[in-house]
Amino acid sequence: MRIWRAIVTFVVAVSAIASAHAQGSISKLPRRETLIVENPEGTIKNAGWFNIWAINAGGQSTGLHQLAMDTFWYIDPQRGLDGVWDNSLASEKPIYNADFTEMTVKLRQGIFWSDGKEFTADDVVYTIQTHMKTPGLRWSAAVQVNVADISAPDPYTVVFKLKKSNSRFHALFTVRWNAMWMMPKHVFEKAGDLLKFAFDPPVTLGPYVLHSYDPNGKWFIWQKRQDWQRTTVARFGEPGPRYVAYIDPGPPDKRVIAQLNHELDIIHDTSPEGMFTLAKQSKTSHSWFKGFPYAHPDPTLPAVILNNQLDMFKNRDVRWALALLIDIKAVSMASYRGAATISAIGVPPTGSHPEYYHAPLESWLKDFELDTGKRKFKPYDPTLGRQIADMLRPSMTEQIPSDPEEINRAFGRGWWKPNPQAAQELLERAGFTKRGERWFMPDGKPFTIRITVEGELRPVMTRAGSMIAQQWRQFGIDATTIVAQGSLVDRRNAGDYEAIISWSVETWGGHPDLSFFLDSWHSQFVAAPGKAQPPRNWQRWSSPELDRIIEQIRQTGFDDPKGLELGREYVKLVVREMPTIPLMSYNVFTVMDDTYWTGYPSAESAPYTDPVPNWANTKYMMVRLKPRQ
Amino acid sequence: MPGYAAYLLSRLGQFVLVVFIGMNISFIVTHSTPIDPVEQTIAAATQYGSTNPEAIALMRQSLRELYGLEGGLGAQYVAFWRRIAVGDFGPSLSAFPTPVAVLVGRAIPWTVGLLVVSTVLTWILGNALGGLAGYYRKNRVLRFAGILAMAFHPIPYYIVAFILLITFGYLWPVLPISGGYMMNMERGFNLGFIMSLLEHSILPILSLVLVGLGGWFMGMRSLVSNVVTEDYVTYAELGGVSRRRILVSYVMRNALVPQVTGLAMSLGAIFNGAIITEQVFGYPGIGTLLVSAVHAGDYSLVLGITSVSIVAVSAAVLMIDLLYPLLDPRVRAR
Repeated sequence: MRIWRAIVTFVVAVSAIASAHAQGSISKLPRRETLIVENPEGTIKNAGWFNIWAINAGGQSTGLHQLAMDTFWYIDPQRGLDGVWDNSLASEKPIYNADFTEMTVKLRQGIFWSDGKEFTADDVVYTIQTHMKTPGLRWSAAVQVNVADISAPDPYTVVFKLKKSNSRFHALFTVRWNAMWMMPKHVFEKAGDLLKFAFDPPVTLGPYVLHSYDPNGKWFIWQKRQDWQRTTVARFGEPGPRYVAYIDPGPPDKRVIAQLNHELDIIHDTSPEGMFTLAKQSKTSHSWFKGFPYAHPDPTLPAVILNNQLDMFKNRDVRWALALLIDIKAVSMASYRGAATISAIGVPPTGSHPEYYHAPLESWLKDFELDTGKRKFKPYDPTLGRQIADMLRPSMTEQIPSDPEEINRAFGRGWWKPNPQAAQELLERAGFTKRGERWFMPDGKPFTIRITVEGELRPVMTRAGSMIAQQWRQFGIDATTIVAQGSLVDRRNAGDYEAIISWSVETWGGHPDLSFFLDSWHSQFVAAPGKAQPPRNWQRWSSPELDRIIEQIRQTGFDDPKGLELGREYVKLVVREMPTIPLMSYNVFTVMDDTYWTGYPSAESAPYTDPVPNWANTKYMMVRLKPRQ
Repeated sequence: MPGYAAYLLSRLGQFVLVVFIGMNISFIVTHSTPIDPVEQTIAAATQYGSTNPEAIALMRQSLRELYGLEGGLGAQYVAFWRRIAVGDFGPSLSAFPTPVAVLVGRAIPWTVGLLVVSTVLTWILGNALGGLAGYYRKNRVLRFAGILAMAFHPIPYYIVAFILLITFGYLWPVLPISGGYMMNMERGFNLGFIMSLLEHSILPILSLVLVGLGGWFMGMRSLVSNVVTEDYVTYAELGGVSRRRILVSYVMRNALVPQVTGLAMSLGAIFNGAIITEQVFGYPGIGTLLVSAVHAGDYSLVLGITSVSIVAVSAAVLMIDLLYPLLDPRVRAR
């Protein structure tokens, strides 16, 4: 009897706790006024640290850089609320002198810190001078390399004198995910050692202030400023959510469960399988695309990055042969279960790039010829995006668009048609030989390729790498994958790989300028074998022709149409040379729940910004979100 | 008593030696990792934002100086022991400049709270049921309980954990599936917070108990099965001593001695954290901290956590060694 009594007591206690849980997942805040968002940084080790200028000391996408920070300009990865470019703290675009050695910034007036102090040129001068004299801050090195002097002729104007000509200096203060944020002089000048100053609670320039946080780093809650009208985002209206909570919801399966329970309004990213589950089971969940492939294509270009310093990849014929052995349809299915947006060229198929690059270069790609030495042929198949859509239609039915333009946007246009015969001819011309079923290099050694993948830390890309290894192996190349896990960064930097599934192309997304990644591809930055390579030319490829393009871009203004022409020259060059084999955009399965909020960005009806919530650009999303009535 | 003093000294010597060797192994392993904390920091700082190759070189140099990685391995080894001597593990490299001790101190109460409760609960339930099942071998309810305990035992932990998550988090969503307490709840000694803590710990504890129960159950049942055949038990039965007294005072007490050793080892191992439990249930604690430190190449933090763990496990073994002669007359006689 005593046992039964204990069991009944336990059940009653559990029921009581369960009924308490039914009251919600957040205490003392109205759920209908609170937006709950996943922070992909996970649990923050050092939760009480908000000094974002101290490098990697605390979290960034805890809402800190989305809701609390501000800087001169933002470039939207999509269309933007009022165009791609937004003058945020600056009142107009950067003003350069003729030789790009001086940049003047006019500041917006009437912007206030959350403690009531006005933001002025004093804050900018303090921020820059602090970085000039303090090594070890997040942007110290970038400032020290570029800035000779800064002055403020009046409270709303700052003038940067640069150490050398730099037509893209403003990029340091232009948000693409993040940028160099402004410091409140009146707080930091009294802080002592800046590297040890936690900045808790943070004094903000953005429209929110810190409400509360978990000392164990699981959640951060931000509250709308009472004086939100005195922040830059107020030009677009009042932010909808009164509170925004950034949380660590755990692994992908739990994120799906949390959204099905309406306890997580925005999932940052989940697995393709998680996305399909939500699409089927939740009427209120949706992603960037209305149907397949759902995900938001980030302005990032995963590719097979070949280590061009290795003898076996120095010959362009070999690189092209490897590209012609890849069946992109199979790679799309293996990696994203078909939900990939493919790109044959060295620019991600996202934001404004399809209209600036992919569409205008389509006819050039169709006419592009490869010469194997035995014959000429046209390797580009413009129908591959459509073929992937057709392949998925029987199982996904109406989720698959039928309009050709929609298919182009969702699945990409064309790619290289698999052509083992041409690959064989190219390899033979490069001195490779086939004996039996195996290929050998010109020096007589077996042609082996180890493809480094990240493993379970990035399963989608790992599956792509495994599929490509299998395709190369079927052709007779001894290709295998190596799982690097957390050491991928170190191996990639040191050039300790043969091929790697990663990306060396990241762009603004909304703006056609490619200098964001391309400037670092100049041969002046290519490290010697074994030495650390600075981002982003992981393929360690150099070309005099590319150097010429980069040097011309450096002399060209950011918005000069000549920049676009040079960008297209780059695209044609890398198609001819194939230093990396571009695959697809990095598709992020951001899933938004309409139960409490409406007005999220979407490809079809509201492409005003990137919905991926760890981007600082998502501050613009807040003014479009409205509580569901 | 002089014999016990010698025993005490020899065990203390072993303890110091084990801790010294363990910490040296930790130092070697953590410093052999291919993950460089400076490169991880640079990658994290530049993976999305604008990068300038000249600035990266300068940043790399600044970070090496800041993190104190300029010296060779020998210098770092000396610095490591110098810091250990004063109980300081230095700053975390992935949450610089916060001291490792602060991060570990913040995480440990959660892990200890979760694992002490689940370990002790599992131990008590497993041994009680195992003891009863070994003594009352024909009881159907106890045989069924034994089948259940053994059925759960071989199932991989993460599968049990996910079944619980899906059952109580989605199909019948009555329990929270993430975190240590409700968001925005005021932390402190108040009813709301305590209830929230309990509520959030139900699923992690239940998962650990379900999977851990079988081991203790089977161990205790086997021990009791052997003890019941001893002469003194037969003698007590023939002497008319009540069955309950025989079970408690003659059988269980004798059978428990090795189980107490096991409990001490398990309690010491608590400081290793419950990595999978914390990951699956999003529970704050030392396991989550360890995983993120390994990924970030933060060997200061990894060393801090492993050192605490080495000392805790060794201390638990030492304590049980010292207490054993007091508990068991047979050991004392030796």
